[in-house]
Amino acid sequence: MRRQVDLTAVSPYADHLGDGLVQMSFTLPVPYSLAARNAALELAAKMGFSEPEVVHYEQLTEGYSYFVMYGRCTETVDYTALHADGFDIEYMSDEEIESYAAEHVGRQIVVVGASTGSDTHSVGIDSMLNLKGYHGHHGLEGYRCFETHNLGSQVPNSALLAKAIEVGADAILVSQTVTQQNLHVHNLTELVEMVEAEGLRAGVILACGGPRVTNELAKELGFDAGFSKGTYPHHLATFLVRELVARVSAAG
Amino acid sequence: MLLSELTGTVGRLALVGLAKNTGKTEALAAILRERQTQRRTVGVTSIGRDGEARDVIDNRISKPRVLLAGGSLVATTDALLRASGLPHELLARTGVRTPLGEVLIARLQGAGAIEVAGPSAAAGVRAVSEVMLAHGAEQVLIDGAIDRRAASSPDVADGLVMSTGAVLSNVIEEVIERTVAAVEIVRLAQLSDPAVLAAGVGARGHSVLVREDLEPVALAPRFVLASSAQQIGHLLDEHPSGRWLIVDGALPEVFVRSLLAAARPRRRELVLVVTDATRVFLSDRPPEWYSRQGIEIRAISATALLALTVNPVAPRSHRFDSVRLRELLREAIPDVPVLDVMHGDYAEFGAPSAGQR
Repeated sequence: MRRQVDLTAVSPYADHLGDGLVQMSFTLPVPYSLAARNAALELAAKMGFSEPEVVHYEQLTEGYSYFVMYGRCTETVDYTALHADGFDIEYMSDEEIESYAAEHVGRQIVVVGASTGSDTHSVGIDSMLNLKGYHGHHGLEGYRCFETHNLGSQVPNSALLAKAIEVGADAILVSQTVTQQNLHVHNLTELVEMVEAEGLRAGVILACGGPRVTNELAKELGFDAGFSKGTYPHHLATFLVRELVARVSAAG
Repeated sequence: MLLSELTGTVGRLALVGLAKNTGKTEALAAILRERQTQRRTVGVTSIGRDGEARDVIDNRISKPRVLLAGGSLVATTDALLRASGLPHELLARTGVRTPLGEVLIARLQGAGAIEVAGPSAAAGVRAVSEVMLAHGAEQVLIDGAIDRRAASSPDVADGLVMSTGAVLSNVIEEVIERTVAAVEIVRLAQLSDPAVLAAGVGARGHSVLVREDLEPVALAPRFVLASSAQQIGHLLDEHPSGRWLIVDGALPEVFVRSLLAAARPRRRELVLVVTDATRVFLSDRPPEWYSRQGIEIRAISATALLALTVNPVAPRSHRFDSVRLRELLREAIPDVPVLDVMHGDYAEFGAPSAGQR
């Protein structure tokens, strides 16, 4: 018989419900040694793990040791008290998006995308825009309702904006690898500010994506939505068609 | 002087930071405390998010809460208003959608902490300010986000407080230099010649080159966003007496550089005219540097810079001596008050006004 999950006290699951087992890995800036192993065990205990165990460790490079550990988490969270805020939207399937767009928009939605500034990563923008897509979900290029322009990586904001104006973009999509040192944040805010400076903000949907981009960050940056890991093209497509329709109806 | 005294006369006050963690929210909190003492009703909105417990990028950094007095007006999302648990009267639904939900305007019926997340776009901020002023706010405080400046445009705000701090660099001179550059942009000299403006302004959708004889020449669409130095060179050759370039929209640094590259061998000097400082995107060189090379940048209108605040601490990195940082800034920017609202000497200033009660 399946044990009932207690949603008011959720903890990690490994072998059986409620065992609290966590696997973690980290590197310590100390030489590979037994003392290093003891340091890792002590650190895990300080993190609050009971029964910490080093299952693997090795020298990463001279003076650095890499660990894989197990530990038992003794904390729980009350899942019932949490709720998702922001866009907790129901995503539409490809066909639903096509028919919704055909009915409510009645023309192709023009999307321009790029990795801006010095960011050389184009995999995020490619998987959203290009036909090939991601994990068996084709990108926006594969939809009849989207006209896409993928400008690639290291695109200056001014060039991205010039292209968006030239093709009459409904949406601009940028991908950025935001780091904790927030090196790339300036590129993202600059784009928003340039769109404002051109007087186009009301007419263009701005979306950003990247491994660390959340809706909270998107809000601070001034974007209309933020997409992170686990986003498929149809998620983005759902947001774009719904937002465009909402704007058109708000404008009367 | 207290920050609230320096900023007391303007209806819509924007608070802008030069980067994250320059103490903008602390400046907002100081003004809110002082206004509460003065029993003045404020409205608060944020183009980002304010009063959140943790920094959005580095969650090891904890952030100051935003404490509002009962009777204050606030623009924030449905979910955040509910999460605050504060009693309130709903004044308006704005229809503005943000990644965190729709923005509402409410009057708080009790004091407390609340996360503020109003409209992000300038037009939305302007609309929300109008509603709050119409509902009795004596002053609307518009908090910026990260390094965004759009909310400080004269269309949106009547006065401006800029926050700077140690987070800009671990070399104090560089903090001063970057702050001076930002202040220079905010306080661009205004174009005083009405004849030039009359000749060149009003054309929407394209920029205009105005010749010495005040004849306007319409430029191709997106000329300022996308032209190469070569294309700019052609334009200068075609119009040997072209003197003012009235920019419709954004002025990116790459254009200023290309213009300089085209103008220099032709021994030409030009004046770039922007609507206001929020249209100028310079990060490599300050306006003064371009000016020395013969490219002046002028604004048609400006928002008054009322004060600078400093945060001498860069979270999880380094700190400077607050007094020294402020002294260096005062030397570099003599005509703008420089304050550290978290320093002991600010509280001394605060004491008399607390005694007035």
